[in-house]
Amino acid sequence: MADLEFERRLERLFADAPELPDARGFAERIERRLDRGWNLRRWLIGAAGLAGGVVGASQLVLSNLFDRMETAEHSARVLGQGLARVTPASDMVSALSGGYGVWIAVGLAVVTLGFAVSRVIEEI
Amino acid sequence: MPGAGHATLASLHDVELCARAAAGERRAFGELARRHGSAIRHLLRRMGAQGAEADDVAQDALLAAFERIAEFRGEGTFAGWVKRIAARQYLRRLQREKRLASYVAEEARDEAEGRTEAGAAGDAERRLDLDEALKVLSRPERMCVSMCYGAGLSHAEAADALNLPLGTVKSHVKRGLEKLRTRLAPAPEVKDGAEVEGKRGNG
Repeated sequence: MADLEFERRLERLFADAPELPDARGFAERIERRLDRGWNLRRWLIGAAGLAGGVVGASQLVLSNLFDRMETAEHSARVLGQGLARVTPASDMVSALSGGYGVWIAVGLAVVTLGFAVSRVIEEI
Repeated sequence: MPGAGHATLASLHDVELCARAAAGERRAFGELARRHGSAIRHLLRRMGAQGAEADDVAQDALLAAFERIAEFRGEGTFAGWVKRIAARQYLRRLQREKRLASYVAEEARDEAEGRTEAGAAGDAERRLDLDEALKVLSRPERMCVSMCYGAGLSHAEAADALNLPLGTVKSHVKRGLEKLRTRLAPAPEVKDGAEVEGKRGNG
């Protein structure tokens, strides 16, 4: 029983540590290191996202995307012509099937890849 | 206004601060560091770390705690949790610098020598504080006692962290406690329900 009491007392003595005079300065150093780490991480995530986006875009451009898009454009144009016979609202499909459609798709792909890479790195 | 923000954080309980820190609020964690930084640094010094080294390890331990704050489930105190991280980090550092083996192999200190040092620091008034009393212990005893009663590790956890047989750790703790018992002045009256941090080493 005396042993247990002494052990409990010892635990209290260990827990009862007086505050050191530079406790505030110590905590501020911790906060600064946290901020520095956070900024560095943001830069790394941003750079990785950008690099991922560029790599993704180049892969898209180099993987016969244009040929495929041209085929798709042709199909869309045929579809648009078909739809034009049915309804005048098919103008929109025709507009998207032009050259702009390719670049919009590439842009969206870059943004999506960049976002996905950023999220994956952030999760890691 | 930063001052107002700190005043608000200062009024929050550790659990709330942990929740905020887990949500990425670094100022909340700064408040936790302000509250418990000294206790962590004291523990490391009691384990044998020198001032600057203790501060370095305490900083690293707190940063590691921030990274792993989501793992803190609120079972036990935040201070106890970080102290365990700090104790383990200190041991890893000693191991990395190849100092751990010599520390734990150190022979028991001559008790008479320890008594002289401790006595010079205030034995006349029978008011030896823990830091003075710990000076009487050999380094392995001091480390084992600090890990079990300061960081709240069990004997088995301490043995694992120190890479020592369980029986050796138990012997160090037993001898350390015997020495401390003779050095520490009679216990002052303690309020009922005083919080005891960490868990007692029970093998």
